[in-house]
Amino acid sequence: MNSLFALLPLVIIVIASLLVLLLEVFLKKENKNYLGFISLFFLIVCAILYFRFWNEEFSYFKGSLVLDKLSLFFFFIFAVAVSFVILLSMKYISLQDANHGEFYALLLFALSGMMIMVSSSSLVIIFLGLEVLSISSYALAGLKRKDKKSSEAAIKYFLLGSFASGFFVYGLALLYGASHSTDISGILDYFRSSPELSLMATIGLGLVIIGFGFKIAVVPFHMWTPDVYEGAPTPITAFFSIGPKAVGFAVLLRIFLYYWRITPESQAIFWLLWIISVLTMLVGNLIALRQTNLKRILAYSSIAHAGYLMVAILARDGSSLLFYLAAYLFMNLGAFAAVIALSKKGKEYLELDDYAGVGFKYPWIGATFTIFLLSLAGFPPTAGFLAKFYVFSAAVREGLVPLVIIGVLASLISVFYYLRIVVYMYMREPSREIAIHLENPALFLVIFLCLYGVLQLGIFPGNILLIIREAINALPF
Amino acid sequence: MAHFLFFLLAIVCVGAVVGMIFSRNQAYNALLLVLAFAALGGIFGLLSAPFIAVVQIIIYAGAIMVLFIFVIMMINLREGIPPEKKKWTIYLSAVLAFILIVELILAARGSFQALTGPGGEEIASPKALGKLLFTEYLYPFEITSILIIAALVGAIILVKKKEEE
Repeated sequence: MNSLFALLPLVIIVIASLLVLLLEVFLKKENKNYLGFISLFFLIVCAILYFRFWNEEFSYFKGSLVLDKLSLFFFFIFAVAVSFVILLSMKYISLQDANHGEFYALLLFALSGMMIMVSSSSLVIIFLGLEVLSISSYALAGLKRKDKKSSEAAIKYFLLGSFASGFFVYGLALLYGASHSTDISGILDYFRSSPELSLMATIGLGLVIIGFGFKIAVVPFHMWTPDVYEGAPTPITAFFSIGPKAVGFAVLLRIFLYYWRITPESQAIFWLLWIISVLTMLVGNLIALRQTNLKRILAYSSIAHAGYLMVAILARDGSSLLFYLAAYLFMNLGAFAAVIALSKKGKEYLELDDYAGVGFKYPWIGATFTIFLLSLAGFPPTAGFLAKFYVFSAAVREGLVPLVIIGVLASLISVFYYLRIVVYMYMREPSREIAIHLENPALFLVIFLCLYGVLQLGIFPGNILLIIREAINALPF
Repeated sequence: MAHFLFFLLAIVCVGAVVGMIFSRNQAYNALLLVLAFAALGGIFGLLSAPFIAVVQIIIYAGAIMVLFIFVIMMINLREGIPPEKKKWTIYLSAVLAFILIVELILAARGSFQALTGPGGEEIASPKALGKLLFTEYLYPFEITSILIIAALVGAIILVKKKEEE
């Protein structure tokens, strides 16, 4: 297999987005849904190609393109996330006045950025992929062009995101200056071979962490998250809460799985991540208690989940991180799907008061939403419970007991605001009438698949754990 | 000849920047900046780095300047921004300027020791650069094309005319 064939999936995604852009000109406004189906078709083709790559290890363009099992696993996560987001948005964008054909094209560009990032070990390529992802995300956040909040979200995301890119590039420059390499393995070799801790390289690594901290929304770099999540079109918010987060953790995993092994005495970076993790879990959950807007609650909840994921990085455990991301994908997209279901033309129901009585009026939406919220809170027998269990037990094995205690306390706090939504849905008298569009088969398909994912991962996690273990064991160290 | 040209360009460059700092008219500022960039491009050319010289003029004196002029036109400030009143910013900028000067002197001393002559054609020529770009760095080079089209599409969708329904 030559290097061009290895590039084929990426090329397919880029061609798909260009095709969508081209067809957008010729399609009538009512027929724009076809663009979504075209994007889905190309996604499936691409996923089949990647499926064939599973048992073959490749490295092309001098390590710029690495198709190992880790990147393939992440690619499947992205493909599922993006196809769910496409299904969720088909009805939504025509109801909420964001019906531009460019919607799908930008989504596919963002996907190609994520694919570039996970399948590379060169930090320059990772930076380019990050920019492709970020620039498409900024535009996606502002797609509800008549809505002031959406424009605000776009400009805030743009400003803070460019700032974060600046941090990342500066850190990259320092790392290159110290180690004369832009490749992750080259940089880590430098860390291993240098006799004492190099100040320049450590600061560089810290700046790279800060740059990614913005993208994965960890405290204290989370300020943009609630506003952007609230303003962006809801399917895009769902995408933001899983896509950039998963890709950021993929890169951190590539760096740190190896880094911890070669520099066990490196305290500065360890404590930096420790403090970030603790702050993220506590601040995310505590601020969520006071929110009344569903999208803001889910925004703070996604911040808190980034904290739990950081625990997995600190515990040096790749497999629990991957399992958590897979579980988070299903439960979070499911929760957002339920929020999207409660909307009608030109109006979304996002306040907690709107949810009073929903559980009896729309029993299916209420019941599935409850399951997703319980999973996010970490109740058995859902995926959320097992995910937290694996992460925290890995941390205990590494002796990070104080971190685990804080994490468990933080997730106890989170139970309150997740259950508050359930209480509103089932135990409050509706104060105002809500009417929603129920003819939306694509959305219910997503809810069903997410429900299946949450229960499958929660009750029979064996298969996916096998795949994850294979992906982690195939890493070169 | 080379020395004469260097000092001529250096004087033009520094003079343009000084003039830019003291002028209060934004349009003059922008034009003086073009002059400084063009002189810098000439200096790069003298250092036998033709590619950087041309890029300096095309990107900075061309593209970035057009951007500046557009911003100045859109904001349309009649009179300049009033001088900063706050005391502490002046002190802070004095300290930062001092640090910058020390850094520049240290860097210059270091580079004078390392420097034996210009880097030579084989590194800085457009041919060598193109060869590297299309062999070793082909993949990142092609990624930038995705980046640019994503940015174009994003910018156009956000600013195009809102259609009435």
